[in-house]
Amino acid sequence: METTAPLLELHHVAKRFGGIQALSGIDFDVRPGEVHALVGENGAGKSTMMKILAGVIPDYEGEMVWRGRPLRLRNPRHALDLGIAMIHQELSVMPELTVAENIFLGRQPLTGGVVDWRRMFREAEAILTELGFGHVNVREPLERYPLGVHQLAEIARALTSGAELIIMDEPTSALSPMETRHLLELTRNLARAGKAVVYISHFLEEVTWVADRVTVLRDGRKIATLEAGTTDKQELVRLMLGKEAAFFEESYVGGRAAADRHQNEAALVVEGLTRPRRFEDVSFTLRAGEILGLYGLIGSGHFELGEAIYGLQRPSSGRILLAGRPLGAGPRRAIDRGVAYVPPSRRTGLFLKKPIYQNVSLPWLARISGFVPRAPREIRVTDEVIRRVGVRPPDPEKEVVFLSGGNQQKVAIARWLVEPPKVFVVSEPTRGMDVGAKEEVMKILRELSQAGVGVLLISSEPETVLAASERILVMAKGRIVREFAGETVTKEQLLHAAAGELAAAR
Amino acid sequence: MANEPHDAPNPPSRWRAFLAKSREFAPVWTLLALILFFSVYSDSFLTLENASNILNQVALLAIMGTGITFVLLTAQIDLSVSYMATFAGVVAAYYTAAHLPQPWPIVAALAAAAALGWINGVGTSYLGIPSFMVTLAMSLIASGLSLYLTRGRILFDLPPLSEMLGSGRIFGVKWLVIVAALTLLIGHLVLRYTRFGRYVYMTGANPKAAELAGVNTKGVITAVMVIGALTAGLAGVVGIGRLGSATPTAFDGMLIDAIGAVVLGGTSLFGGVGGIPQTIVGLLILGVLRNGLDQVSVDIYMKTLITGIILLAALVFNILFAGRKEA
Repeated sequence: METTAPLLELHHVAKRFGGIQALSGIDFDVRPGEVHALVGENGAGKSTMMKILAGVIPDYEGEMVWRGRPLRLRNPRHALDLGIAMIHQELSVMPELTVAENIFLGRQPLTGGVVDWRRMFREAEAILTELGFGHVNVREPLERYPLGVHQLAEIARALTSGAELIIMDEPTSALSPMETRHLLELTRNLARAGKAVVYISHFLEEVTWVADRVTVLRDGRKIATLEAGTTDKQELVRLMLGKEAAFFEESYVGGRAAADRHQNEAALVVEGLTRPRRFEDVSFTLRAGEILGLYGLIGSGHFELGEAIYGLQRPSSGRILLAGRPLGAGPRRAIDRGVAYVPPSRRTGLFLKKPIYQNVSLPWLARISGFVPRAPREIRVTDEVIRRVGVRPPDPEKEVVFLSGGNQQKVAIARWLVEPPKVFVVSEPTRGMDVGAKEEVMKILRELSQAGVGVLLISSEPETVLAASERILVMAKGRIVREFAGETVTKEQLLHAAAGELAAAR
Repeated sequence: MANEPHDAPNPPSRWRAFLAKSREFAPVWTLLALILFFSVYSDSFLTLENASNILNQVALLAIMGTGITFVLLTAQIDLSVSYMATFAGVVAAYYTAAHLPQPWPIVAALAAAAALGWINGVGTSYLGIPSFMVTLAMSLIASGLSLYLTRGRILFDLPPLSEMLGSGRIFGVKWLVIVAALTLLIGHLVLRYTRFGRYVYMTGANPKAAELAGVNTKGVITAVMVIGALTAGLAGVVGIGRLGSATPTAFDGMLIDAIGAVVLGGTSLFGGVGGIPQTIVGLLILGVLRNGLDQVSVDIYMKTLITGIILLAALVFNILFAGRKEA
């Protein structure tokens, strides 16, 4: 393999977004017949690099070389024409169309200006057989097949369009273990057939299995390129995180007299909760006054679990008990029983063009002012809670859209302080906040827990769960794979549990 | 963003506030401009008598527009309102002719409209059919029911109450105008001063966020579709009194005007923004335009074209200001 010339190379590639150096000094190459994996934490620069490779970002510094010649991609179309195809994390398939149509989307074989269906079906069958999926009926709508086949259709589309370099971005995040194995084998087959593959994944187990070489990114820099055969998960995790101790790198969970905790009543009990393709057989107990961290990589099902507890998603089986009684469906019932919820994306939960006080008072309108909403009362109530969480400026009549992201998030939290909940489910409460604001939010969560609120802190950022949790559950591919309690946990251990212990989950 | 060199400096906030206000008041400027224009070019326009004419002319639209305002505020649409008005008028006349004691024919008419509105609402919110499609189908159903009940004929037996409200006067003021004013007033009070009203705005502004805050958004959408149908039904019941008969297509043509007036006033088709005051301005724009074009000497066959062009211009004007505000 060493003798093959690289298909694509990057030399000293760098990219800035405003004041942020997203990538700097990247040297990278991928050869025909090779799977080259790209790993790194969220924000390490993987997606920026991938977007440069796929022509999505045309204005970068440094040089790209394609088949030995310097090249500057103008746009994704240009990349595609050269033979660089990207398989997206969010699939870009049309579930209602047949498998064959999805493979030939936009390039259906024509005969005299009319789609030649027979030829299209024949060619689609041929390519799927070649990929080892001859059993898939290309005449069926894609939606009849599981997600793994959707991914397959995208790959087949890339191949039939003459792709030489295939970029896969988190291709297995939504797949079942079985589908994952198929996809990994398929990826190896692509390499064997002489294609070059750039494989981006959080799942280090998969990476060490499928890749020939692994490049580790951290903070926009290339840390190392390793032969996959000579490295292991431990080394990769260490390289991804680096040595330097950052804020909340590690934390002792169970710090506050864990023994007391056990005497506290169970605020929330989740038993065998299952929703196919989201989470499976999840059971845990959240005690009153406890901050329970729920960590998982993106796509692990932890956010969906939070939605299910709030009544937004119906589980197919299992039970959610609040103070011993089952919780009915729907947010209204959850709110009335004392469950509060902050969604992972603040745009989902806020009314940006409405004043802060209307955002805060909405769940409590009946209690604040009965049948006729009274703005002065709402404003008074809002004023108090936004001061408590430190919204700046603390002006209840200001429209939310004029606040900074961090302050918007504080509004989303402040709403639930009007009547302290019994169970507080918060997803990514500090995403995109600066350190000071993060600490303020954590302080609020700690105060709530001291007042007896059971807090379920859901995040894909290790720092967030480490900052406040007294116990941490780790989810991977829809299941709880590890619990940390009464011990010192490091970021490394968390990532390891989420990315490494998949073998155990399978 | 602000770091990028080509970015224009942010306008001072006072200028921005002015733009925001201008956007809110754009329809008012349009209205004033039209009034000014017609006052200059016609001697008969700016008179008390003509003003009352304009009010009479927009009264039915106002009743219907009240319900449409609710519907648009939740980011839905109702294309069946005018056909529901026709249907309600037909039901009222039909049962009067069948000697059902008063006021039951009117009650039946309103109940029938509300029932159809409820179907619109359930179809939209619980079954997830776009309101555009449900109400399009409903317009055919309502229209079909009107044709079926009348068998294509014109009904002349009207409820006395319809006749009074449609063409009677009290202290020199038409009942029709009073009914319209009351409907608008009640609509305004509900939207501004009730919890339900707040839910309507919040559901339109961000349905997902409203759901997350515990608002029964499906219930709210069902309710506004019923309200839309009820005011349409009321327009029909009063409208037959004004026309003096119920025909199977009496109010069908009002659809575009009714929705147009609400949107012209500044209530957003995308929900969450607007209200009854805006609707009143929109109604007056439409009324002044229609009436004014009758006063000035314009080729009668050009009137519809001119109305269309002016409406389009007014909408573009509104959107331009909206665009500025977003930037």
